[in-house]
Amino acid sequence: MFVFSFFRIIKFAFQDLVRNFSLSLMTVMILVLMLLSVNTLIAIRALTNEATSWVKEQIDVSIYFSHDASEDQINEIVDYINSFPEVVSAEFHTADQELEKFKQDHKNSPTILSSLDELGENPLGPTLVVKTRDPGDYEKIISSLSVPEYEKIIDAKTFGDTEVVIDRVQSITTQVERLSFTLSILFAVIAFIIIFNTIRVAIYTQRQEIGIKKLVGATNWFVRGPYLMEALIFTCISIAITAGVVYFSSLFLDPYVSIVFQKEAFLTNYFTSNIMWLLSVQFGAVLILNILSGSLAMRKYLRT
Amino acid sequence: MIKLTNVSKIYDKKGSALNGVDLQIDAGEFVCIVGQSGSGKTTLVKLLIAEEKANSGKIEIGDWDITRIPRRDVPLLRRQIGVIFQDFKLLPKKTVYENVAFALQVAGETFGRIREVVPKVIDIVGLGDKMDRYPTQLSGGEQQRVVIARSLVHRPKILVADEPTGNLDSINTQEIIDILGKINEFGTTLVLVTHNKEVVNQLRKRVITIHNGQITSDQKEGKYKL
Repeated sequence: MFVFSFFRIIKFAFQDLVRNFSLSLMTVMILVLMLLSVNTLIAIRALTNEATSWVKEQIDVSIYFSHDASEDQINEIVDYINSFPEVVSAEFHTADQELEKFKQDHKNSPTILSSLDELGENPLGPTLVVKTRDPGDYEKIISSLSVPEYEKIIDAKTFGDTEVVIDRVQSITTQVERLSFTLSILFAVIAFIIIFNTIRVAIYTQRQEIGIKKLVGATNWFVRGPYLMEALIFTCISIAITAGVVYFSSLFLDPYVSIVFQKEAFLTNYFTSNIMWLLSVQFGAVLILNILSGSLAMRKYLRT
Repeated sequence: MIKLTNVSKIYDKKGSALNGVDLQIDAGEFVCIVGQSGSGKTTLVKLLIAEEKANSGKIEIGDWDITRIPRRDVPLLRRQIGVIFQDFKLLPKKTVYENVAFALQVAGETFGRIREVVPKVIDIVGLGDKMDRYPTQLSGGEQQRVVIARSLVHRPKILVADEPTGNLDSINTQEIIDILGKINEFGTTLVLVTHNKEVVNQLRKRVITIHNGQITSDQKEGKYKL
């Protein structure tokens, strides 16, 4: 009997889906629109994260050593800086490398280059370029070097000049991340409410049929079964359509994104490399939401 | 077969739909229940199919005490009783065949048995050539015949008809009453709730009159009277 009922539930689900085609289409469309909104937000978050991390990457601190600093003293400071867990990289440049870089950076400024020639000797000392995970960590690195024993061998630290800019960047990126997170929550709540009500309306339009089935002697599960099966089918269809639209939209948008971020196929790579968790989380969320809202809506009509 | 003992049903404090009703209907009987609108006829039907619960008293159908029936057993009870409604209550997205088959499908009948029984029952009610039609493609009389087929297909011992001719013209009314008479002749207990005077007078069966939620008359081969 259970096997017969199970097959009948599947059959009724497909039958209802086809015979209530306009209702099914509307439900799937709303699910797809909501999923697309969520995926758009996911894409915006990915782009925002990429943008903020790119901005953070542009910030570094240069520690300029004096000409008197010995190799041992410089190595000691390099090792000391590298011992900080916040430090992502500490790149050491010799005085000659710094001079070469300076010439390269100012190759279009003959006045500066001729002034350099007039000096006759390399005015630049060895430099350590330090990058940290977070702009907020630079303060810690700089203050750790502000001790009397290092003051004689360190000429300057650029952080002092760029501190305001770093603080500003830190503040902007934090605000962007907060905004993005708040928008995600807001969209999730809107999607939840719309999907919940769509399923409730779909069930409401079939309340009389539910009542009739009960009066003919159907058990609650025999009535509920096809609707739950439909919820599963709606979820599968809407996830498949959304995945397709997101993939092709990513392909279309990637050339424009690459102009800004200098990365090929950024969005496509992001979605394909996260496809498993993105699909499974969205599938799970929509299915649970469908089943939950469907069951709650039906509970009232199953009482007859 | 059906026994009501001091049954009352109250919807609100202003008045009761049924008030201390005692009634016994034996197996194979054909009983007409008559009364004005709002007298409590439909409430009685709802109590018999456990769509409503009595506030007090006892309702027994066969071996079931349906005043104490657990919710999970209600579908089993409904599969034992055929019900015909005035507004048909057919599933609009299912064909004639599927509507009739549904009554067997809910009971877990096999595919083979359904294929064998359903066309026969649809033939009996004269709709053999309209099995693939949807309810909206049928006339009122035809829809009511589908309902009869659906209520008969699982061979119930009791058939409850609540105003089955309320939406029908005189020709269709006669056809439906003839079908109900034949069903009763085959041994099914029939409870006909109606306010159609001609039908009741023509049948000359037991007539129970309900007024203000109470039985005011119970005649063996009676006539319609309020």
